[in-house]
Amino acid sequence: MHKLGPILLFLSISAAAACTGEIDGEPFTGPPPNPYEELERLQREGPPRYTSRVHGCTKMRYRTLGNVLASRGVLVAATGAETSAGRIYADGAAALGAPNYGARARETIELGLATTSKMFDIFVQAAPEIIAGMPNRIECSGAQLFDPLNRCNADGVSCLLGMPATSAHLQICDQTVARAADVESGKRLAVAVLAAAAHTCE
Amino acid sequence: MRPESSRDDLLRTGAAGVFAGKPINKSHPTNVGRLLRLRWLVLALLASLPSCNDAPPEEPSHDEWDDKLAERVVDYNAALRVAALRLTGELPTFAELKLVATAVDDGARKTVYENMVRQYLTGPRFSRQMYRFWQDTLKMGDDPALDTAPAFLTKLAVEDTSYLQALTATGGTCPRFDPTTGAFTPGNCTNTPQTVGLLTHPGMNKHFFSNLGFRRVRWVQEIFACSAFPAEIANVATDVQGASPYTGTFPFTSIAGKASGGRVDFRDTKSVICANCHSNINHIAPLFAHYDVNGAYSDVMAVPVPEPMNPHAERTDYLPDGEGLAWRHGVPLTDMASLGTAMAADPDIASCAIARLWNWAMGKGDIVDASVRVPPATIEAQVAAFAANGYRLRAALLDIFTSDDFIRF
Repeated sequence: MHKLGPILLFLSISAAAACTGEIDGEPFTGPPPNPYEELERLQREGPPRYTSRVHGCTKMRYRTLGNVLASRGVLVAATGAETSAGRIYADGAAALGAPNYGARARETIELGLATTSKMFDIFVQAAPEIIAGMPNRIECSGAQLFDPLNRCNADGVSCLLGMPATSAHLQICDQTVARAADVESGKRLAVAVLAAAAHTCE
Repeated sequence: MRPESSRDDLLRTGAAGVFAGKPINKSHPTNVGRLLRLRWLVLALLASLPSCNDAPPEEPSHDEWDDKLAERVVDYNAALRVAALRLTGELPTFAELKLVATAVDDGARKTVYENMVRQYLTGPRFSRQMYRFWQDTLKMGDDPALDTAPAFLTKLAVEDTSYLQALTATGGTCPRFDPTTGAFTPGNCTNTPQTVGLLTHPGMNKHFFSNLGFRRVRWVQEIFACSAFPAEIANVATDVQGASPYTGTFPFTSIAGKASGGRVDFRDTKSVICANCHSNINHIAPLFAHYDVNGAYSDVMAVPVPEPMNPHAERTDYLPDGEGLAWRHGVPLTDMASLGTAMAADPDIASCAIARLWNWAMGKGDIVDASVRVPPATIEAQVAAFAANGYRLRAALLDIFTSDDFIRF
């Protein structure tokens, strides 16, 4: 037993003195790089001289998503019902990739399945609030999402998307309403689908 | 000022190009070892080719990627949506998007769009967005001790003064910012006798405290120079009788090791070549070693050495006697102020700022953490304008958000 002390001391000094990742920041946690995968990715996505000049499709930032929801009539607060859009948003910061600066971690802006699923949950739950509240928001100047005949309104859809609605947008919207079991479900689904499609990428 | 052989030069070669754009922590010795082994393996394969003495093949003058770039079309409606989300944090209003959509022709649409971007850049929500951008860039935020650093950079942008003050300002680097009102409260940092931009910021030095102060040095390199260590790579590698050659630009023996009386053997060559990164790191780190665990300046070094009892570092742990500090090989330093000045004079710093703003605008990941490179040719015009305009961030953002690449989809 008396030999264990010097051995442990020697090992600890050797480990401390060695030039290792301990003194160099965060330990390496990921798998080793696979050059073949990287080469394949370069061939698929293109070289930096191309990729740097085209827009990316990054996740909408957490706080921006909150602003977008609020500006389209959604109450973004943690005080609502458990399944309200505002509550899902407020409780879902981690799933939505919000930053953790205390851990020196930036916001995650890569799109993942969990994040897109969570965003879709929010848009589905937010849809009734958006349909009712959006026309009252100053940002949308009274634009309604649906006309009295339950057809999708170009102005309303444009304000929801943040860019002019195309005929394709309106067609998808109308079809979603028409094919649903009932009109209210159809409107809700149409708004959720359009919002998710438009706002998944910032 | 430029390294003898930059990372970009290496990545342009077929061998190292394989690694372009991959998420890898090159500052970690294990990864550096892997990279070097792979790099040398591929270089050895290339050396066996008959054409190895020829000049490297030039990139084709025109290829499929050029065709794809040419296929993009100008879309001011889409550009407005992205610009609004980035610069205001919100979607454009119905009135705004209608203004662009109903403009009589492309010329009018361009004018309306550019005026809208100007409005966004001078509007009340811009400061909030800049604040969020800098929080994310610096990895500092949501804590009063940390928030003053992004607040300072936000102030530079909102007041449209030189970005280089981030490295040279002698006061006012700890302002408060209220994102809900957009109001700044001026403030000086009180942790240090000499303020040098964010290099002496208390929150930064506290947040990135580590053994030997290396995490702070890494932060400075990655945030402001946009590359991980190794910061410089020599044109000709040196055989140091190790597992792989030494590729730094400083002499191998210019950093401390057991042989020079240091307590950590940065000249170790058994598994990886520590000196490849530490040749640069160790010439800077002693400056940051004077900030303690709370980010306060101390006359004696206040960062630990990873040894039993964690003794405080000493200068001989980093550099042998007589070796001076340096930002880069051939750019000597005397103190923190000279580091700020040297960095501000390094063209890589201005290019890095533009590259970071470019990636933000174009919806890309981090230039270092996600290896989302921006080739110099892509932002050449914006970098030149940035320098010509006194390194003002708002003018640079206007340049970027109205650039030909930004408005094409």
